[in-house]
Amino acid sequence: MEILIQTLVAGVLLGGVYALVSVGLNLLFGVVRVINFAHGEFVMIGMYIAFWLWAGLGLDPYVSLLIVAPAMFLLGVIFQRGIIQPIQGTSANMKIFVTVGISIILQNLALFLWGGQHRTVSTSYSTSVFNLGGVTISVGRLIAFIGALVLVAALFYIMNRTMTGTVLRAIAEDGPTAVLVGIPVKKFYFVATGISVMLAGVAGVMLTPFTSASPMFGFHMTLIAFIVVVIGGMGSMVGSLVGGVLLGAIETLAGTYISPALQQAVLFAIFIIVVLVRPQGLFGKGAGTEEVGLK
Amino acid sequence: MKRSHLISGVVVLALMAFLPLIIGQYLLNNAVLIVMFVGITVAWNIAAFGGALSLGHAAFFGLGSYTMAILLLDFGVNPWIGMLAGMVVAAGGGLLLSIPLLRLRGPFFTLASIAFAEVIRLVAVYARDFTGGSEGLTIPYAPGWLNMSFSDREPYYYIVLGLTAIAVLVSVWIYYSRVGYQLRASGSDDEATRALGVNTAVLKVVALVISAALTGAFGAFAAQYFFIVDPETNFSLNLYSIQPALNGIIGGAGTVLGPILGAVLMTPIGEYMRGAFAGQQGLNFMIYGVVLVGVVMLMPGGLVSGIEKLRARFRLKRGVGRRTDTTAALDESRAEDRL
Repeated sequence: MEILIQTLVAGVLLGGVYALVSVGLNLLFGVVRVINFAHGEFVMIGMYIAFWLWAGLGLDPYVSLLIVAPAMFLLGVIFQRGIIQPIQGTSANMKIFVTVGISIILQNLALFLWGGQHRTVSTSYSTSVFNLGGVTISVGRLIAFIGALVLVAALFYIMNRTMTGTVLRAIAEDGPTAVLVGIPVKKFYFVATGISVMLAGVAGVMLTPFTSASPMFGFHMTLIAFIVVVIGGMGSMVGSLVGGVLLGAIETLAGTYISPALQQAVLFAIFIIVVLVRPQGLFGKGAGTEEVGLK
Repeated sequence: MKRSHLISGVVVLALMAFLPLIIGQYLLNNAVLIVMFVGITVAWNIAAFGGALSLGHAAFFGLGSYTMAILLLDFGVNPWIGMLAGMVVAAGGGLLLSIPLLRLRGPFFTLASIAFAEVIRLVAVYARDFTGGSEGLTIPYAPGWLNMSFSDREPYYYIVLGLTAIAVLVSVWIYYSRVGYQLRASGSDDEATRALGVNTAVLKVVALVISAALTGAFGAFAAQYFFIVDPETNFSLNLYSIQPALNGIIGGAGTVLGPILGAVLMTPIGEYMRGAFAGQQGLNFMIYGVVLVGVVMLMPGGLVSGIEKLRARFRLKRGVGRRTDTTAALDESRAEDRL
């Protein structure tokens, strides 16, 4: 029983970060209508920036957020202008292969520049834990979880309470009409992609105190984020949040009770089952889902 | 299929058969790899006729390798029969993957195919008793045609040439058959094709199963050629899922010539880069990625459509073109759909 609670807590905390990565993917899909296979790579880049700032300048990962967040937003804007914008009007298949290509490039760029070894940031609080009613909680994981929740909540607020958010939702609902009523859609695409990439990078930084960076980590995150989006439902922010936490819990439970070697296999199996049984996801709204066959 | 295609195919095959007489063992190794990747890409492309862009074909390749190896090592089954069994098992895998194929479109099928291949790879690592875990299995060296095992590369070359010829023949036959037309129609507009009374679901499943079985045959061949089967290589996402897809897209997915062109062009480049940049990990795949993005963005239908467009423009300039701008535009849109 104690092990179960312990596992669940660790899983839920990790799931918060998954949720943060997934809301970004979901935002990009909802507004810009591009399924970004390179999304996880931005998490990986965030991790490496945090690592090098720590290794080179001795900067604490949480302090480096001040540099990583704007840098990643800028990277997102460049990504939108250089890669996404030219392919936006094309077929879904073209978008797949361009973003898969970007993912291959970034993954191997990291391998080329920084080698295949795992890079670990070790801070004073990396291994520190505290005890809460018999359950041991890692400080790094708890901070990552709370940070992720705060950011997801902030995105909620922006999307539902501000003008920018209203416009973004309008574009997500009906892009062509948004153009007709005079919304500078292209500008808002920059905002959406920028936020999406920034959230991925920030999630990467939050992971660094307890996870080591490696070139293949991004690919793993892309798969996780996709599974979360499918489980939660395309276009549903609440769905991403719940899906992320659920997936984190399932992953750690599978690691403890089945086998660490089959941890990922269980996730993929769940993904395929969800797609077959409830393709619209737990909180799916259906908007845009017919495009990818998730009716 | 036109008669001229058949003749040029036979001529190319005959020329290829003489290759080992000219080149040495080292180059012959490259030739084996190129021909193998042509075969794998052509097999992958058969599923792409119907619009299914899979990034999970490593699963079929690995299933072919492991089936042959396990049958040989644990049950003493002859490798040739093992290869057939590998094709059957891979076809079974194709049948499994067709469940998400019929439910999902575009990126989500692609994603499901990655997940599918990863699950099978992880299970192969996990089931140590059968598969030898991450160390994999070693194929015993027992030279002779009966054992599909040789000390020279020539026999391997002829076997893989034969397999690839079969794959190309199957691909050409499907492409020009009634089934192929229906399949390609479904690839560009599934709903319209169904509305015309074509059962596209069956066609797509059949195409995927054939594609999987052929890929499995190459997997069994590779097990004999490299004498080793392990999860990181034989279920490799980069080598056998992404590479064939990449070759196909660069050449022109959904066409007959495109995948062949793509594989013939990209495999030596990849091999060269792997040798030239051996010290710099990742550089070769990075260049692959750049080529992929560049080709897809500049030439949406791949090299084949790029060449066709150039030819059309050349004809127009000379003023003898029968093609008007509208047919050229139509071709262009078709090329995009094909992708």
